[in-house]
Amino acid sequence: MASSPATAQMTTARAGRQLPTLLPVLATVGLPTLLLTLFLLLPLILVAVYSVYSTDPITGIMQPDFTLANYERIVSSPIYRKVFLRTLEIALLCTGIALLIAYPMAYTIGALVPRERQTLLLFLVIIPFWTSYIVRTYGWIGILQSGGFLESVLSLIPGVDAGLDVLYSRPAVIVGFVHVFLPLMILPIYASARNLDHRLIEASYDLGASPWRTFLRVTLPLTMPGVVAGATLFFIATFGAFVTPQLLGGTEDLMMGNVIADQFGEAFNWPFGAALSVVMILIVVLSLALLFRFADLESIYG
Amino acid sequence: MSEFDVELREVTKHFGDVVAVDRVSLAVERGTFLTLLGPSGCGKTTTLRMIGGFEYPDSGEIYIRGVPMGRTPPYRRDTSMVFQNYALFPHMSVAENIAYGLRERKVDKATIERRVEEMLRLVELEGFGKRRPRQLSGGQQQRVALARSLVIEPTVLLLDEPLGALDLKLRKQMQLELKRIQERVGITFIYVTHDQDEALTMSDRIAVMNRGRVEQYGSAEEIFERPRTRFVADFMGAENILDAEVVQADGRSALVRVAGAQLPVRGDGLQAGQRVALVARPYRVKLLEDPAHQDALWQATVQERVYKGSSVAYLLQLATGPQLRAEVLVGAGDGHAEPGRQVGVAIDPTHVVIVRE
Repeated sequence: MASSPATAQMTTARAGRQLPTLLPVLATVGLPTLLLTLFLLLPLILVAVYSVYSTDPITGIMQPDFTLANYERIVSSPIYRKVFLRTLEIALLCTGIALLIAYPMAYTIGALVPRERQTLLLFLVIIPFWTSYIVRTYGWIGILQSGGFLESVLSLIPGVDAGLDVLYSRPAVIVGFVHVFLPLMILPIYASARNLDHRLIEASYDLGASPWRTFLRVTLPLTMPGVVAGATLFFIATFGAFVTPQLLGGTEDLMMGNVIADQFGEAFNWPFGAALSVVMILIVVLSLALLFRFADLESIYG
Repeated sequence: MSEFDVELREVTKHFGDVVAVDRVSLAVERGTFLTLLGPSGCGKTTTLRMIGGFEYPDSGEIYIRGVPMGRTPPYRRDTSMVFQNYALFPHMSVAENIAYGLRERKVDKATIERRVEEMLRLVELEGFGKRRPRQLSGGQQQRVALARSLVIEPTVLLLDEPLGALDLKLRKQMQLELKRIQERVGITFIYVTHDQDEALTMSDRIAVMNRGRVEQYGSAEEIFERPRTRFVADFMGAENILDAEVVQADGRSALVRVAGAQLPVRGDGLQAGQRVALVARPYRVKLLEDPAHQDALWQATVQERVYKGSSVAYLLQLATGPQLRAEVLVGAGDGHAEPGRQVGVAIDPTHVVIVRE
């Protein structure tokens, strides 16, 4: 008992020291945690909870329940598998095309253009983001529709059949996606390209590697983290999008996003929409986990 | 085949309005360790980069083994460069780095493995093959870069201040090691540095560069003992450089006036009235205890006296203006004096060097 006042003193002293360190911890860790919980975790949980609810077959009103019927419907119906595969196909194709456009652009801006002029070019890349996604997509309608800008331009070339029918088709959807989400891919690749040490490229030339071999053995591996990050961002954005296929695609181009939006909107079947969303999220998360394991980004930096 | 591994003829390179390299001509014999020595901005690195093919001359021509290089890119040149910051590929192991050039040359796997092992042994990094460059110290990375370049057996190895990032002790050690490796492989090395000690330690030949031009080209001894210009003398650390004027000259020898005294010197091509400079190493300066000694060229006051063990260093203020540094051996029977004393100063004319401005 004789030691207890000393112990108490030590405890208060320690608490006194800990208090000022608690505040910054709360601000740096606590605030983001709170925001993430409020705006990410909570909605996700809500969606997950809705997905096991049922709807009254007559009134269509959502009822708290625990049923896997929604998931059974997804797995058993070939329609959703078809839409899912189509979504995957469109998203992958767009990611591939975007990569072919974004890589040269990002590499040029990050590695070839002098530093002081990079800001301007990046600015030009980002500017479209200031305009609404929907407005930019509507812009493509004006360009692609019959009698639109593209047709007028093409009709100027003699011998070209002007009657092309692009709008409300797969190519229109692809063009729309690539245009709208391209900056998402350019920025991470730009960051990698900018950090690339130019002397490594010189060293490769010096050791006898041609520009093409140097690209394969040095430039591409060292910018791979940017490529993976950019492709991932682009893929996720495309995979879940519904506005572009809605506005630019035909009925044969509807994607998972459209089906889900319909369930929450017109069909007013929130539990089923929620179940579809959960499946989408799981698929994306699982494929990302696989990708990152496969790409093994750690090994690039060793 | 040419007896020269590398030859530069009137090579000039501009960057915008700046002349980086100005009509440089050099011929480097096979197996030479040549150092391009000079302050930053003197054009030494640009010269090296032009030999490697990373820059092309605006005019003039570079020959490697007698073949004009023109605008041949680096990957078609038989040169290899050790970069200042090593430029090792971070995504490859040490062994993969060394194997890089061999793989580009489509050498078979077994040979690559054997050659990589040989190289690791040469640079004393056996067992390090599987590591990543960033797991190595600066000195070790340096040796990997060297091995990566040597393994492809270039005609010329180019080294761009490769020891600049190392601490002094390691640098000294690597200087000797580089020299040892160069003698062993027998390849021509062209080495760029701003460190005159480094140049003297390693080089068979030194080209001292200043403002894009080669001021002097010769052996380490020639450059150190017989600088031809004031810049070279200054850059090689000459402590006594005095303004002088040629009083009379007869082609082989001349009489120069330095700080009021006249001194007969050797000197080819000097002309009466020409402004020159006299260079005398401190250990060539004699201190005479009697200011009126018959050998005394100047009278001076001892300003500083620093005991350095085997010798004593003096700073002398000549009565006629300039200062002179002298280094006198202890116990050699030569004169010594305390600060403040008046003394006579003499220089053996056979040991002074006359340089042009």
